[in-house]
Order: sequence, then C-alpha cells, then structure tokens
Amino acid sequence: MALPMLTGQVLLDRIQKNVGVPWQSQRSDGFSDGILHGSADTAVTGIVTTFTPTLEVLRGAVASRKNTIICREAPFYSRGERAPLFWRNSPAPPKEMTDNDPVCRAKQDFITQNNLVIIRLVENWDARRSDGQLRGLVRALSWEKFHVPAKSLDEYDPRNVYFQLRKNSLGRLAQDLQTKLKIHGVRVIGDAVSSVSNVALTHGLLLVADSERMLREQGLDVVIAGDAVEWEAVPYFADLVTAGKVKGLILIGQQASEEPGGGEMAAWLKSFISEVPIEWVPAGEPFWVLS
Amino acid sequence: MNQTPLSRRRFCQLASSGLLLGPSLMRGQSSPTRLTAREVVERIRKNVGVPWRTPTADEFKIGDPDAPITGITTTFMSTLDLLERSAAAGNNFVITHEPTFWSAADVVSDLRDDSLYRHKVNFIEKHKMVVWRFHDHWHARRPSDGIFAGWNRAMGWEDYRVKSDNPFSIQYVIPETSFEELARDMQKKLKLRSMRLVGDPKLRVSRVGNGGHYILQCMPQLPKVDVLLVFEGREWEAPEYIRDAIAAGEKKALIQLPHQGGEEAGMDECARWLQAFVSEVPIKFIPSGDPFWIPI
Repeated sequence: MALPMLTGQVLLDRIQKNVGVPWQSQRSDGFSDGILHGSADTAVTGIVTTFTPTLEVLRGAVASRKNTIICREAPFYSRGERAPLFWRNSPAPPKEMTDNDPVCRAKQDFITQNNLVIIRLVENWDARRSDGQLRGLVRALSWEKFHVPAKSLDEYDPRNVYFQLRKNSLGRLAQDLQTKLKIHGVRVIGDAVSSVSNVALTHGLLLVADSERMLREQGLDVVIAGDAVEWEAVPYFADLVTAGKVKGLILIGQQASEEPGGGEMAAWLKSFISEVPIEWVPAGEPFWVLS
Repeated sequence: MNQTPLSRRRFCQLASSGLLLGPSLMRGQSSPTRLTAREVVERIRKNVGVPWRTPTADEFKIGDPDAPITGITTTFMSTLDLLERSAAAGNNFVITHEPTFWSAADVVSDLRDDSLYRHKVNFIEKHKMVVWRFHDHWHARRPSDGIFAGWNRAMGWEDYRVKSDNPFSIQYVIPETSFEELARDMQKKLKLRSMRLVGDPKLRVSRVGNGGHYILQCMPQLPKVDVLLVFEGREWEAPEYIRDAIAAGEKKALIQLPHQGGEEAGMDECARWLQAFVSEVPIKFIPSGDPFWIPI
C-alpha cells in the first residue's frame, strides 16, 4: 500500500508517533515544538537536521534540494518567550521590529521564496528516556568507554552524565574539547594545572539547581555545559573553585554542546522515514577568539 | 590571593581607627571612626540624583548595616574570592553591582542546605563583613549612568559618544580601525580573558554600538553601526543575528564580552564618586575580574 505523500504535517505526525513520549504541544512561555515557518501542506523534498537554521544552513539545504529543516533554535534570534526568563534572555522582539529589520527580512524572504518548512523539535526530543543530545556529544568526544555505568537506567538517561576520564589537567581537558569539537570559544573557570578525572557532561544552559544536584556525586572535579548565566551558575562555580569544592567549569557554548545531537536526530528520523534524503548539517561555531 | 601588604598610610588609618587593636582593648574606647554601612547608603541616596525606587535590588544582602565599617570595597561581583581579597585589604563593607548568592534577587531560601552557601556566609560572618548591592540606582544615577561613565573612561571613549536620549542606545564613533585591532584594544583596556568574536578580523570599523544584553537592544542599532558589543547575552540571540547579517552580505561584526567586561569599570567610577562624600574610611575598587579564560 502506498504511503500518503510526505508533507510537513505527515512528517510531524510520524515524529509524534515515534517519539515514544506523550507529545507536548503547548507552551505558555515561548515557541512550541512544531512548524514555525512554512506550510504544513508542503511536500517534503528532503530533511536537514541542525542546531540552528542559519542563513548558510538554509542555503545549503536548498542547494541539496532539501526543503525541510528540523532544528532546536528558531530562525529569528529568539525562543519566542513573551517575558524574559528571570532576565536570562530578552522577550521576543515585536513583529514590527523583525518586519523592518534588514537581516530578518533577508532571511524571511529566503524562507518564503524557497518554500521552506522549519520545524522546531526540542522539548519532545529531550523528554525521551534516552537523551539523544547527550549521546551525540559523547560520540563526538569518543567518551563512550569512560561513561560511568548507572544501574537500572538507560545508558543515555538524561541523569547519567558522569564520566571517569584518564587523569588530566583542566587546561588539557579544555584543549581536548576544543580539538574534538572543532571550536574556539571554550570558556574555563578554574586553575589550568588542576588535576581532573571525574566529569559531568551536560548540554545547553546550566542552572544552579542542576549544579547542586550534580555535585551530590562524590568526587566530581569538573562540570561541562553549553552556557551559564553570569550572575548564576558562573559565579557559583567561581565560588566553588575558591572554596576548593570543585576544580572547574568548562562552557563549550550552546552550539557545540547541542550540535552533535542533530546527528543522532537524523539517524533516528531515518529509522521511520525512507521517502526522502535526511542529512545532519552542523551550523558550526559562530565565534572566533584572539590568539 | 593577591594579598596587599599594608601601606604606611593604610597602617596609620587602621591604627587611628583602633582596628589594629584586639577587641578587648577596643571595648569602651571611643573610636574616631564610627561610620556604618547604613550611613554610607544614606549618603549614596542623597547624592545619586534620582528618587529612590521600590522595589529595588539595591539592598543589604548580608551583615549588620549598623556595625562600624573599616573600609569600603566597590566591585562588580561579590564572589568569594573578592570577599577574601577585600577582607585581606581591611575593607569589611562591600558594595557590589551584581548578586552575592547566585540569583538576580539573591534568593537564599533554596540554599539553606547548600554547603557552598554556608561556606560563604561563614566567611562573611567571621570577618564581620556587610554586603550591599548597588545596581539599579547606579545605572539610574544623574547626570549619567555610573556604569557606562566608568566604561567610557576605561576605554577612553568619553569624547566618541554619539548624543542620544535613548538610554538603551549607546553609540560611539571611534577613529577607524580594523575589527581585530578594536578587539585587541578592548581586551587590554577592560582586562578581558574570554572575549568572543563574530565577523571578519580585517573589517574596517568606526561606528560601535552597545547592544547590552538583549536582541531587542541589538536589532534597532545594527543598521547604524559597524560593530555591536554584547555582554551577558544568550548565544541564540546576537551571535546568530550577526552571523546571518554577514551571510546576507552586510559588513558587520560582534564582540561578545563577559558581563564583567561590559560593566566592571563602572564600579571603579563608583569608588571615585564615593570619595566625594565619604572620607572617614578608605575606599577601594577591587576588580572581581573576568571569571573565565579561554585556552589558546
């Protein structure tokens, strides 16, 4: 029996059927998972998974004849929140601001002219029992063999973030992350020569409450995360280091911490979508640093 | 950590205030210096040039505001390291721009069982320190925002400021340079270790806009500037915005500073400002510094 034509809506329905957790579609404080831009009736010609749909990623998708992008971050530099989350971010810019902004307009025109469909998939992907973002990051670092086994949990249960590495200095560990993830802007708190071995590897924004929970693990030396608020978890770790309670914090950037999960998402989509090509396209690090 | 030996002048100040004597010797003596933290804050309220607002973050966070103070430290953030250095310098009153207990409102109700919280509180109590936050009203100070007055001075950009009535639109026209040279100059002047950049290092730049923290502040400014500065901004906002602007063919660049890089110099300004109306105790700006370093 022929399958129905793969439209944006059919794709979304199939994702919902396969995601393995009850679909959450309502958020009061920002964008929900689902189609952010484009028509649900558009026939999907190919799928790109990425961290964030930069103009370069969109151009690459069109060049390879793929019109559907599945991403974590939204295209217009905001998560759509109407109110700032404790001043960690700004509220979404009003429509008249983005409508008149030359950068937003160039991107919007590109999306419209190429009939692109942009789908956000974050909360439901992250709610799965096995954390695809963590798995992607672990594989990118080749740290599988260092993963501390957790009894009665999925190997990549979101709580299973502990790794016992070979003893190294904090500085060398940070350099290793730079090399393996091909990034520059790795920000470190702590003494470069501190000896470290026990690491918690997380992705995204690190909060103080997360840090307190992880620090209950005995002998933790370092936490790795994407980003942290500079009046919350950042000084929390600076103080932990001063008090001698932990060796350091390494922030690899939102993009670097979330990007490899896009590869896992592409592999997962291929397990139930065979009609169109599916490709993970990393957006890459936005930053460079002075040498 | 960075303990400064007592200068001769400082020794005389401490000696005259009785602070080099043991507590038992001090008891019953009337010291010439009985200034309290609360009295300093009262003077700040009189001098700041704007009516005091409520609610405000500018409150005592810990310590006894009515105890005599030995000296004042102004700083960007009252980290544990900063408190240790302030105590070593003999200053038990810390005026901090940013929080002490790791949240915007210094909420400590969730921290009762946190061993780091207890450690920090114990240190503060042991050294009889008082911490007061000076954020909202230092930004609101008349005739100009104290934070950006200090920042302009640290950069030497006072004369480059473009006149504007919008407090969220701070723009400069500086002598033309390359984006990389601008970044190097800023890194040096603001003592930064964790600056992150977006854009062509060779781009010729002259118009610089302070985009603050938020994309809402960045968007209206970008058409008027070559370079945006952002500090403590989320990575899905300004960096991606500028990356797309460049991809769309615009000649733009972004400097993402640590939060300290955008505001710390304003607390150096605060120390100078306090000296005009507080003379009983020493006042010193002690930088809490860039919390990060980047391996190169």
